[in-house]
Amino acid sequence: MAEVSTGPAPYIYVCTRMRVRKAKLLPREDYLRMLNMSLPEITRFIEETEYKSEIDELGASFRGIDLVEVALSWNLAKEYQKILEITPGALHQFTMSYLRQWDIQNVLTILRGKYQGVKAGRIKEILIPAGKLDRVMLDRLLAEESVERIADALRGRSLYPVLERELSAAMETGSFARMENELYKEFYRSIIADSKSGVKGGPVFLEYIRLEIDIRNVQNLFRLRMGRMDGDVRDMMIPGGSFSVDELQRIAGMENTDDVIDAFQKKAGFESISALLDTVREKRSIHEIEIELTRIMLGEMERLSKRYPVSICPILVYLEKKKFEVQNLRALARGKEANLSSERIGDYLVM
Amino acid sequence: MAVETMTVEVAEASAMGLKAIGAGLAVGLTGIATGIAEMGIGAAAVGATAENKDMFGLALLFTVIPETIVIFGLVVALLLLF
Repeated sequence: MAEVSTGPAPYIYVCTRMRVRKAKLLPREDYLRMLNMSLPEITRFIEETEYKSEIDELGASFRGIDLVEVALSWNLAKEYQKILEITPGALHQFTMSYLRQWDIQNVLTILRGKYQGVKAGRIKEILIPAGKLDRVMLDRLLAEESVERIADALRGRSLYPVLERELSAAMETGSFARMENELYKEFYRSIIADSKSGVKGGPVFLEYIRLEIDIRNVQNLFRLRMGRMDGDVRDMMIPGGSFSVDELQRIAGMENTDDVIDAFQKKAGFESISALLDTVREKRSIHEIEIELTRIMLGEMERLSKRYPVSICPILVYLEKKKFEVQNLRALARGKEANLSSERIGDYLVM
Repeated sequence: MAVETMTVEVAEASAMGLKAIGAGLAVGLTGIATGIAEMGIGAAAVGATAENKDMFGLALLFTVIPETIVIFGLVVALLLLF
């Protein structure tokens, strides 16, 4: 059917809704307040926010940390599905492509769970049906007996070629890590292809994706350095960002962390974040660096969404910020459950 | 004499007609401009109200601000005609 041109109004409508939703996310002060609360108090606190309906609905079936975990996952999935419903035209297509990363996460969770003999009910609790694979499809996958049959059930989906290629090796080694890397690489390759397919708004989407790939690569490089992983890192890097995989390999070989940051800063096309990378210099532990890089990424995404106010960016920024809000609340709840100190939990929050 | 009277009448009638066309253009064009201006504001206003009902009053106020353009057009049209 020929697309009816309706002008920019539907785009403005959706972008405004996303901005309002972004404004409703929990502010820094709320996290600081929650750091001084116990788990039941945190549950009650988030019940008074956007998570009310999930906490009320699940309150009868779950208690304590499980209630918070499941409510957060449900809320995230509901929120993402709702956004898919209201986004029009090309924005819908891009949002859909972007949310496919949740399919990868869900399929990997199911495969890992099944491989280790975890019960289907337990796996289901931690699935977040925010992507193309809905609850019905995920239930079908959970009902399958073996890992191979799960892969077969995904025949015809975009994940299948990588699963087919990597599954036997993963089963032999008992580790799905390599398969996970390949799935994410394929995911980024396909969204880059989508953004270059000539659909209006594609270049802005591409700019956003490249930023995400850059930050992911930098994060991975720091992780590998901290884990003292020498040798060939090319396999673990995502192609398509500002840095080629070979350049990343060269940077990975550097001895000093300051040299690594210098190399990132010198790179043309990376200027916008290079000044911010100075803050990373002062951080010493890996989680501090990761949180700082995530913060840089979110700040930069926010900047992009302001530069292109009627584009895919405001939607993607909201999706990311919502994801980190849920991660923060989960970290808070888990930290409190494990009786960690407030300072320690605070270090892990992206505020 | 009769021809001269007719020429004056024709000139007066066409002056009146041109005024009417001017008045029509003043209202019509400003109406279109207002519509275009309200498209973006209206879309954003509906979006904001859908997320937060308290925004309704303020959103409505913002949406009708471009109406001033069409009112200017109407004033010009009335001045032309009367």
